[in-house]
Amino acid sequence: MRAAQEGAMNRREAIRHSARWAGVAALWASLPARTWAALALPAGWSEDEEQLLTLIGDTIIPATAESPGAGAVGIGRFMIVQATACFPAGAAEVLRRGLKEIQAVSATQFGQGFAEMSVAQREQVLTDYEARVAPTKGSALGSGSNVNPFRLMKELTLLGYFTSKPGATQALRYLPVPGGYKGSVKLGPGERSWAL
Amino acid sequence: MANHPTTVGAQEHTYDAIVIGSGISGGWAAKELCEAGLRTLVLERGRDVKHLADYPTALKTLWDFPHRGKLPQTVVSENPIAKKCYAFDATTEHFFVKDKEHPYVQEKPYDWIRGYQVGGKSLIWARQTQRWSKFDFEGAVRDGIADWPIGYDDLAPWYSHVEKFAGISGNYDGLETLPDGEFLPAWEMNDVEKHAQGKIMTAFAGRHVIQGRCAHLTVPKPEHYAAGRGQCQARNLCYRGCPFGAYFSSNSSTLPAAARTGKLTLRPHSVVESILHDEATGKARGVRVVDAQTKQATEFFARVIFVNAASLNTNLILLNSKSKRFPAGLGNDSGLLGKYVAFHNYRGSISASMDGFADSYYSGRRPTQLMMPNFRNVRKQEAALDFQRGYMVFFGASRSGWQQGNGAKGVGAEFKARITRPGPWGISMMMQGETVPRKENHVRLSAEAKDAWGVPQLVTAIGYHDNDEKVLKDFHARGEEMLVAAGAKNIRKNDSKQNPGLDIHEMGGVRMGKDPQASLLNRWNQLHACANVFVTDGASMASTGTQNPSLTFMALAARAAHYAVAELKKGNL
Repeated sequence: MRAAQEGAMNRREAIRHSARWAGVAALWASLPARTWAALALPAGWSEDEEQLLTLIGDTIIPATAESPGAGAVGIGRFMIVQATACFPAGAAEVLRRGLKEIQAVSATQFGQGFAEMSVAQREQVLTDYEARVAPTKGSALGSGSNVNPFRLMKELTLLGYFTSKPGATQALRYLPVPGGYKGSVKLGPGERSWAL
Repeated sequence: MANHPTTVGAQEHTYDAIVIGSGISGGWAAKELCEAGLRTLVLERGRDVKHLADYPTALKTLWDFPHRGKLPQTVVSENPIAKKCYAFDATTEHFFVKDKEHPYVQEKPYDWIRGYQVGGKSLIWARQTQRWSKFDFEGAVRDGIADWPIGYDDLAPWYSHVEKFAGISGNYDGLETLPDGEFLPAWEMNDVEKHAQGKIMTAFAGRHVIQGRCAHLTVPKPEHYAAGRGQCQARNLCYRGCPFGAYFSSNSSTLPAAARTGKLTLRPHSVVESILHDEATGKARGVRVVDAQTKQATEFFARVIFVNAASLNTNLILLNSKSKRFPAGLGNDSGLLGKYVAFHNYRGSISASMDGFADSYYSGRRPTQLMMPNFRNVRKQEAALDFQRGYMVFFGASRSGWQQGNGAKGVGAEFKARITRPGPWGISMMMQGETVPRKENHVRLSAEAKDAWGVPQLVTAIGYHDNDEKVLKDFHARGEEMLVAAGAKNIRKNDSKQNPGLDIHEMGGVRMGKDPQASLLNRWNQLHACANVFVTDGASMASTGTQNPSLTFMALAARAAHYAVAELKKGNL
C-alpha cells in the first residue's frame, strides 16, 4: 500500500515537472488517491499513453460548473486497466490504435500533438475522428477485432466516470439507500438522472 | 473417496430428521420440522454463509470495486456457464458455483447455474412469487402432461402459511388465473407503465397487467421486525445479500427461525453422496456424507429424510442411492427417476421506445416489475392455437440513464449535459413459458466421470421442443400487438436462443403423481416406495406452470413437513 502511494507521488511529481502536461498535472493533483492508486498500470503501457488517454477522456467528459471531468477520476488509467482486465484479448491494442490515429489526426489538422492543443481543437479532433471511424454495431463491449477505437474509448470513459464517486454523486444523482420507490416524480428542468 | 464411514458414535450421529440442502425449500423443511420439536440436521454441501456477517459486498459502492462490478476476463473465461447468468458479476460471484469446481456432462447444451452455500440460491434468486391457480394443475392434467395428485385447494392454506412468514408484496387483483395471497403493500407503477396498462387492458379483454408480486418487506409486520428483518430500501442490490433482511432468504428468515428452537444442527461442507436404505424396515435409515474439505465419509441417521438439494442435485442423490432393493436409485420402481425434467422458456423478449412523458420520472430502484398472468389455453386447449400450455409476460418501463451516451455522437460539455439528463423512455417485455415435461428430457449418472468427492457426475440431456418454438412465436406476436396498442415505437423482438437451464427454473425428475407406476412421489411429496423420504424441492414438480416456482416449493415443503410430523406421531414412519 505504501509503495503504491509512493509510486503515485512519484508519478505526480514527474508530471508536475513537465510543463507540457500542465493541464493534466492540475487534474492529477486533485485526484482522490483511492480511485486509481490501487490499480497498477498494466505492463506494456507508458505513462505518456496513460496521460494521453486521460486527456481524451477529459475532453469527452470535461469539468463543468457542477462536477469534475473524467480526468479527475484517473480515467486514462481506468481505460487501460479495464480494457486489459475485463475485455476480450485485443481490446488494449484497439485503444492503442485509437491513440495513434488520434495523434495522426491532430498532426494533420493542427500540426501538433493532442496534448499541446487547445480544448476547442481537441474537441474538433475527436469529433472528426468519431465521424471518420466506421460505426460499430451494438456495444463495443465484447466485440472482436472490428472494434471502433473511439467507441471503446467513449464507453470506457462513461463507465469509469459515471461509476466513480464524483461522476455518480455530482454529475448524476446518487441514492445509496433510496428508502422506497416512487413511481411518479415530476422531472424539473435540468434535473439529472439517477446514477443507478 | 476415503471410505471409512463412521460406525462408532452412531448415537451422536442420529437425529429425528435430516434435511439435505439449505436453500429455499430446505430452509422451510428445517424450520417446520424444528418448530414441531424434531431434532433436525441440515446438511449443506457448501460453506456457511451467516446472515449479514457473510455479505461482504452488501454495503459497497461501485467505485469500491476496481473494475466497477465487472468481472476480469480471467474469471469470465474460466466460467463459460456461470458467466451467462445476469446476476453473476464482481459484486456477487462469491455466491455462484465456479464451473471447473463442479463439472457435469452436457449431452445436450445445458447451463446449470448453482449456488453451493448455506442458503443456496435463496441468496441470489429473483424473488418473484406468484401462486399457481387451479388452472395450472387442472390444465396440465387435462392436457395429459402430468398426473397431479393435488390441486390448488390442497396448496392454498400452505401458500398462506409461507407468505405470511416470508413477506410477499402485491396487490389484491382478484384474478382467477393468479390467486391473491397474503400481501404486504405492492410496489408502485410508473407513469408509462400505468399508461401501457390502461391501453392494453382496454384493447384486450382477459389480459391483465398487474404489479409483480415479490418476497420483499415493503411494510414489515411486527413479526418480521421481531425476527430481525426490516423494510426494503429499494436499493436493488439484492444479489449481494440484504443488510436489511428485507427480502426472503433461508439465511435471513427460515434458518434463524429453525435455530431459535434449539433443535437445529447445521452442517456445512457436507456433500451427501447417497441415502441409505434399510431392507429390513423398508425405510431409509440415514445418509452418507462426504466432508467437502477432508473428503472423509460419515453417516448420519434419522427417522425421516427431506431431500431439498435443488432439483437436479436431488435427482443425482436419489439416482446414486442404489441398494439391493433399489438398484436404479432410491424409490425408482417406475424407472422414471431423472425423467420428465422441465424448465421455463425464457427465450423471448421485446423492447421498444415510448414517446412523450418527458417530465415524468421516478425515484428508487424497484425490485420487481409488472406482469401478465397466462392468458393462453387457460380454460381449455384453444382450437386456434398450435401449441400446448402458455406463458406469463413480464413488463417494465424506464428512462435511459448515462448509458444513452454509448453509441451516441458528441464530446464536451454539451454532450455531458445531454447524457446526464434522463433519456427517452423504453418499454420491455419478457416471456416465462411453460415447457411440457418430456420423458426424453432427463438427467442420469455418468458411468465414468466423478467429481472431486467421488460422486458420479450428472449427465444433462434436456432440450427444447417444437412446442417451445411455437410458444415463443405466439409471445412475439401477442407482445408486439400489445406494445402497438400501448403506443410504443421501434418494437424489436428478440430470441436469446439461450440454453435450457439459464432460466434457473429446472423442475421435475422426481415427479409427484397418483400412479406409482408413472411417478415417484405421492400427494405428500413422499416416495411411493420409501415412506420416510420426502422430496419437496423443484424435483417434485409434475409440470412447470408459468409462475416463478419458488413460492410453490416453499408451500410444498411446509405442507409435507407438517404431514411428516403427524405421521411420525402416529407411528407410521
